[in-house]
Amino acid sequence: MSVAALLRRFGPLLGLLALCAVLGTLSDHFLTFDNLINVFRQSAVNALLSLGQLVVIITAGIDLSVGSILGLSCVLVALLLKAGVPPALAVLAALAIGGALGSVNGLLLTKLHLPHPFIPTLGMMNVARGLALVICGGFPISELPSGFRFWGAGSVGWIPAPVIVVVVFCVVFHVFLTRTTVGRDIYAIGGNPQAALLSGVPVDARLILVYALSGVTAAAGAVVLAGRMNSGFPLAGMGSELDSIAAVIIGGASFFGGVGTVGGTLVGALIMGVLRNGLNLMNVSAYWQTVVIGVVIVAAVWVDVVRKRAAEKGRAAVN
Amino acid sequence: MVLGAAVLAGGACSRGGKSGKLEIVLVTKALDSEFWQRIKSGAEEAARADAGVSLAVLAPAQEINIDQQVAILEDQILKRVSALAVSPAGVAEIVPVLDKARAAGIPVVIVDTDVRWPYQTSFVGIDNRLGGRIAGEYILKAIGGKGKVAVIRGVLGVATQEDRLAGFREAIAHSPGVELVAVQPANSERALGMQVMENMLTSHPDVKAVFGTNDQMALGAMQAIAARHLTGKIVLVGFDATREALRAIEAGEMNAVMAQYPERIGKRAIEEAIKAARGLPVEKRIDIGTALVTKENVGEFLK
Repeated sequence: MSVAALLRRFGPLLGLLALCAVLGTLSDHFLTFDNLINVFRQSAVNALLSLGQLVVIITAGIDLSVGSILGLSCVLVALLLKAGVPPALAVLAALAIGGALGSVNGLLLTKLHLPHPFIPTLGMMNVARGLALVICGGFPISELPSGFRFWGAGSVGWIPAPVIVVVVFCVVFHVFLTRTTVGRDIYAIGGNPQAALLSGVPVDARLILVYALSGVTAAAGAVVLAGRMNSGFPLAGMGSELDSIAAVIIGGASFFGGVGTVGGTLVGALIMGVLRNGLNLMNVSAYWQTVVIGVVIVAAVWVDVVRKRAAEKGRAAVN
Repeated sequence: MVLGAAVLAGGACSRGGKSGKLEIVLVTKALDSEFWQRIKSGAEEAARADAGVSLAVLAPAQEINIDQQVAILEDQILKRVSALAVSPAGVAEIVPVLDKARAAGIPVVIVDTDVRWPYQTSFVGIDNRLGGRIAGEYILKAIGGKGKVAVIRGVLGVATQEDRLAGFREAIAHSPGVELVAVQPANSERALGMQVMENMLTSHPDVKAVFGTNDQMALGAMQAIAARHLTGKIVLVGFDATREALRAIEAGEMNAVMAQYPERIGKRAIEEAIKAARGLPVEKRIDIGTALVTKENVGEFLK
């Protein structure tokens, strides 16, 4: 593979490695084993949300409700646990609820013929957050059983449990997107919706599926977060929809659809986690961190644009 | 990218540890209000007074970003700082990371909002229950022991807010002529406080006194009262004694506030943290004290 092709394929990963190298020189603590484990644990929730956001963005859609679905799932799973439901069952119920909420997004989009996914997911963002606050009266629900907390706070050996969850989800989503017809349909819908429809792809059903998947990953994020925080709190996930979109975009997906990979998205989520962690270690204020992340998002997309235009010029020259 | 590089370079300069100084880190709930900024300046004063101390004051972007605060603490614990002072955004959510601090041998001073964690080195704050009670007693006297009163309170489940309300209830408990007609949350926000007050004035037009458990909500309520030309007819009491509230008392738009002394809270918290880091004995509970501020004594607080 040529150097240009390598750069094109592994651009975000090289960006992550470069960032780690820079942070390693700026802080003695960054490149330590314990810290890197921290980074993985701290990035896990965003990584999960970003996987769902990825499949939605591949269809040229967007899901603004993932943070609120996370919040509602967080409260509901805590309520179930407090009611004595065994952890395994509570987790499955949470994932099912997330999927159901996501399907509502998909159904609203397709059946009501709403012009853009911005609209139903914006509505869901408000409805889910409101319901979360209503259900628990604003109070967090804490002291959750340790069998459940394992998913957020536990480890298998030195590997944090959230990392295992993320890896499993990544493998499943990667196989789904690259090796199944449904996965190919999703890329097709994003790349050229008219052609997809004409070639017999059941567009509506696929769209409902991607939003349902986004809801499931939001609920998975809620399980990890509730385990980590030992609490189902109604304001969980506020603003995290934007973090998930950022991770997907930094990872190389396109808002116009048809482009994006699980690997890229994972790297995008890690870049954000690494940035926040490195800046925390350097005692940089949370406000500046927000500024830096904004700059990185624009820079990452710009680098991608430059690469693509260079590649196109290269191809034109050959032709 | 230049901006990013500048920030990174600036951040690198504040990296300590190698200098042999004690690294103390204060993590507040946020830095977006006068209260937290004053705690920060008190903390910085304590750090300046001791040449062997390097202080960093950090916080998440908003008080609701509980997980961001946890991540900040995890990263500071990893750096093996000498001591931590924390004002927890979530009292239950913070316990796992406090356990991590303890496992790393880092003493933790709890600031302003108490947690149920048996290993805290010290708690520095105020008796919020007493503050609520004093506010309640003031209102009792101001309305002559008879009439309808209401409370506008902060986020549910937060100990400081619950204690202030509980203290207020205690104060009015033995006065049968006083009726607590409404207790509504406004999340310590001014705009929400104004909205809640407007609704209260509609459903209880004969309310005689209102207690806002923080100044922002009381100032919002003040606007709602002014809009209906009821300034001076309803007794209004706040909590925090921010400058704006003090000026409102001077102007006769608000009746009283409970003063905390955030600079003293910040200063004592860091002083105890420094002592703990040096292995010196530390006071377990420090009540900085509250005071009732009315038109009579507002002058000394505005200095």
